[in-house]
Amino acid sequence: MSDSGQITLPPLTKASHASHCNRCLQGLPAGQIEVDASRVAIGFYSLGSLDLLGLLQSKTIDAEREAWRVWLWQQQASGSYGTGFKGSSYMTGHDRDPVVDYSEYDTPNLIMSYTSLLSLAILRDDLANLDRIGLIQFIKSCQRDDGSFSALPNGGESDLRCVYCAFTISSMLDDWSGIDLERSIAYIRRCESYEGGYGQAPYGEALGGTTYCALASLHLAPDSPTRLATWITPAHRARTIRWLMQNQGEDGGFSGRTNKISDACYCFWCGASLAILGLGEDVDSEALAGFISQCQFKFGGIAKAPEARPDPYHTYMSVAAMSVLPPSIPTDDWTLPPLDVLWNATKETVAWLRAHVTEAGIAAAHAS
Amino acid sequence: MSYLSSEDDVAPLLYCERPEWQDVTPISQYEAVSSPIAPIFYTPEYKDATNYFRGVVKTGETSERVLELTERIIRMNPAHYSAWQYRYRTLLATNAPLDVELKLMDQIAAHNMKTYQVWHHRRLLITQLTSASLAKDPVDTATAELEFIGNVLALDTKNYHTWSYRQWLLAHFDDAGLWLGELPYVDDLLLEDVRNNSAWHHRYFVVFGRGSRSQATPAEEGEVLQREIRYVKDKISVAPNNPSAWNYLRGILEYSNTPFSTLLPFTEPYTRAYVQPTDDVVDLDNPKPSSDATLPCVAALDFLAEAYVRAGGDGVGKAVELWKQLANEHDTMRKKYWEYRIKEALEGKTN
Repeated sequence: MSDSGQITLPPLTKASHASHCNRCLQGLPAGQIEVDASRVAIGFYSLGSLDLLGLLQSKTIDAEREAWRVWLWQQQASGSYGTGFKGSSYMTGHDRDPVVDYSEYDTPNLIMSYTSLLSLAILRDDLANLDRIGLIQFIKSCQRDDGSFSALPNGGESDLRCVYCAFTISSMLDDWSGIDLERSIAYIRRCESYEGGYGQAPYGEALGGTTYCALASLHLAPDSPTRLATWITPAHRARTIRWLMQNQGEDGGFSGRTNKISDACYCFWCGASLAILGLGEDVDSEALAGFISQCQFKFGGIAKAPEARPDPYHTYMSVAAMSVLPPSIPTDDWTLPPLDVLWNATKETVAWLRAHVTEAGIAAAHAS
Repeated sequence: MSYLSSEDDVAPLLYCERPEWQDVTPISQYEAVSSPIAPIFYTPEYKDATNYFRGVVKTGETSERVLELTERIIRMNPAHYSAWQYRYRTLLATNAPLDVELKLMDQIAAHNMKTYQVWHHRRLLITQLTSASLAKDPVDTATAELEFIGNVLALDTKNYHTWSYRQWLLAHFDDAGLWLGELPYVDDLLLEDVRNNSAWHHRYFVVFGRGSRSQATPAEEGEVLQREIRYVKDKISVAPNNPSAWNYLRGILEYSNTPFSTLLPFTEPYTRAYVQPTDDVVDLDNPKPSSDATLPCVAALDFLAEAYVRAGGDGVGKAVELWKQLANEHDTMRKKYWEYRIKEALEGKTN
C-alpha cells in the first residue's frame, strides 16, 4: 500500500469534521464533565481544526466568533502570581471581584494560557487586552527549582508539557525573561530515555507527546541556533530519529511508545517531531494518511483509532499531522494550509499572532 | 467517618436541600457571555455541589463536611483540580487521619487511573504520612504502596501515570530493600508479556537509572552488565521481533560504552533465514532463534548495520548492504529512512 500509489485514499471529509468541532464549540453533554477545568483546550482543538480545514469563516457566524473572543478574554485573570488564562470559569463565582481577580484555588493555568493565545489568534483578535508583563510574571511563578514548569503557580505536577507551553509563550512574546533557561534546558535533557524519546519527566518512559514538547522547546530556545548541537548531540539525534521512525506501525499510524498500538494523536506528536528534526520528508506519508483516513468517524470528527469515538483533540492532531506530513500524491481534499510545526498553528495564524502580540502591536490596537 | 460515603449511595440529597448546609451561601458560576466556548450541560447534582464548593472556598472553611463535599465533586469529575487542592488543604487543617484518606484513594485511583490529580494527591499523602511529624515507618508505608501499585498495574500493565508513580516512590524512599524487589517484579511482568515496554523501561530505571547503586565497584558493574546482556539475549531468542528488547539491549550497550560489535555472534543468526543446527551444541551465551521465528528480524538487521557502521572501515559498506535489504525488502515502510541512513553513512556521518 505504501509504495504502490495505486490504492486510492478515501477522501478527508472536511465538512463533516468541521461540523463535529462546531458542535463541540456549541456545547458538550454532561458526560464530558472531566473537561470542565480545561474548556479552553477543547476550544483550541475545535477552532484549530476549523482553521486548518479552512472552514472557520463559513461554518461559524460573526456573532459567535465575537462572543468566543469575549469569553476567552474573560478567562484572563491577574493576581499575585501574575496574569494568565484560566481553562474556564469553573471556579469563578458570579460575584467575581474585578480587583482581586483570582483566589489560590482559581489561578490561571499555563497550558490554558498557551491554548488561549492561539485561540485568540485563530479568531483574529487584535490582542489589545493582553497583559504581556503580567504573563511573563505568571510564567516565572510556574517554574520549579529543577527547571521544570507546572501548569499552576501554586502546586500540581510539573513536566515537559508545561515546559513546552512556557517556551512557546515566551517565543510568542519574544521575551524570555520569565524562564531560567539553563535550568529548563538541563531538565529537558534529563528527560531523554535510553530509547531515544523523551519521557514526561526525568526517568520516564519515552513518549511521543513529550518528545515533541522537548524537541520543539529546544528548537524554540533563543540561543538554539548556536547551541542546539550541544543540547541534541549527533548521537542523541540519531537515536531519537530511530525511535520516532520505529513508532510508525504496519497500519501506517504512529504509536506513542514502543510496542503500543497506533493512535491518531501520535501521528502528529511523532510525525511533527520528525519534521522538526528535518526528517519529515522521509516518513511514509501515504501509509500515514491511510491510517488517518480510517480513523474518520462516519458522522464527522476523527478518533484515536478506527472504530473509536471522535473528539476535537484527535480531530485536530490528525489534521495537523496531515498538514505537516501530507501524502506525497496530493489530492484536493487532502490539501491543507501549512502549519508552523513549533507553535502548532497554521502559518497564517502564527503570522497574525506575531504581528499583534508585540508591545507595538498592542499599543497600535489600543490607539485604533 | 461520615464522609467515607460509598459509591453505591443512591441519589443523595442536593446540598441546597440539606439543613446542615443552610449556613453556607452557594455561589453560582460566572458566565457572562451568551455564547461561551464549549459550555457543559451540567447535571443538577454537579451544579449544586460546585455552587457550595465555591461558597466554602470563599469563606475559607476547612471542616469534615468540606471533605464530604470535595469527595462528591471528585467522584463526579476527577479532573476537578481545585477540589483536589482544597481537599488536601482541608485534610491538613483538620488533622484528618491520612491513612483513612489513603484507603479511600485506593478505590478512587483504581477507577481513575488516567487522571493526573489522583496520582499527585497520592504523592502528597505519602510524603506527608512519612514526614517526621507523623513518624509513620517509611519503608512499611512504601512497601504497602508497592503492593497497591502492583494491584493497580495488574489492571492496566502499561499505565503511564501508575508507572511514574512507582518510580517516584522508589526514588523518594531510595531504600535498598525496596529496590531489591523490583527485578523479580519486572521478571514476572515480562514472563506474562515480553513486549511490555513499560516493564523494560522499569528494568532500565532500576538497573542503570535511578536505582543503580553508586557505590558499586567497576567489577560489580561489569557483572551486572553481563547479567543484563544475558537476560535480554534470552528474551530476544524467545521473541526476536520485539523492539522493546532490542531497544533495551542498545540502551545498556550505549550506557556502558560497550561496542555493538561485541554482540555480532549473537546477532547474526537473527539476520538471515533459519538454519537447522547441525549439532546438539547449545551455546548458552548466544541463544539462537527458534524454528518458528519470523526471520530475518528487522531489529537484528538494524543492530548489525549499526555495529558495522560504528566499527568503520569496510564496515560502512556492509552496513549499506544491510540498509538496502531493509529498504527494499524487509522494512519497506521505512524505505526513505534507511536510504537516509545510507546517505549519512556515505557522507561520513556515522554518529
